[in-house]
Amino acid sequence: MSFNVLIVDDSNSMRSVIKKIVTISGFKMDQCWEAGNGREALDVLSKNWVDVVISDINMPEMNGLELLDHLKKNETLKEIPVIMITTEGSDNRMQEAFKRGAKGFVKKPFLPEEIKKILYSVIGVSENGEYKEDTGTVDECDF
Amino acid sequence: MENTKKIQELLMNAIFEVFEKMYFVFLEPVDEDVKYDMVASINFTGPVKGCIDVLFTRGMAETMTRNMLNVDDNSITDKLIEDCAKEAVNMICGNFLQKYDSSKVFDLSIPVFKNKSGVFTKQEAGAGENVCKLSFESDGSLMGIEMSVC
Repeated sequence: MSFNVLIVDDSNSMRSVIKKIVTISGFKMDQCWEAGNGREALDVLSKNWVDVVISDINMPEMNGLELLDHLKKNETLKEIPVIMITTEGSDNRMQEAFKRGAKGFVKKPFLPEEIKKILYSVIGVSENGEYKEDTGTVDECDF
Repeated sequence: MENTKKIQELLMNAIFEVFEKMYFVFLEPVDEDVKYDMVASINFTGPVKGCIDVLFTRGMAETMTRNMLNVDDNSITDKLIEDCAKEAVNMICGNFLQKYDSSKVFDLSIPVFKNKSGVFTKQEAGAGENVCKLSFESDGSLMGIEMSVC
């Protein structure tokens, strides 16, 4: 079983790095789309089947938290799990992201193993492909 | 003074973590002046305000870009170096602030990059307690970092 991923970050290099780290982590990725901000992400999501979104918070035009708000209001997209990925991981910021609908949180820089565990956890699938019942929310501190 | 020492230690740990995890670069603190070629800067606001400048030699920036993106020397462009330098200062700042006080919310500006050369002197007499200056070396390439707190 493999999954379609959308990576949202305003830095082209960072998107490449995230994609590379997800690939080398061993996470079973099928399609990988990229977007430079929340608005571009919504456009990708409206046209493609995405299993999980990995999004930066600080971005121009539409930031990661605003993207969460848009997804929450959209009946079709609200169930897609979103992992926030950011440099500044204060407890309050994490709580705010979770309140607005994020399912996971990773602080940059991060290791391949960290992102893999969070990806499988928010999708609700074990690494050998079995579905879990309740995914809840997760941040890297749980590992 | 105690606070300055603590800030310096936290900043150093943030730099080590970012460079080792993201760029696979292992830095050694040095006392040398740094003849830098480019600067990446970021401002932060919150319970404490300040700014961080990271001053790179071309060699250091190229090593970071090569390692981060896993590209060969011929594929390294000025745009990739700029992106990489901005991401570095962004991660250092975020990592430092989290170590400084993870219970508080800070806002980070969008990083700014400048092709600007000069000489960075690690610790000038009378630089003040609100300024922290550090320089590092890795495989013959140098970089400096200056953090000012208001």
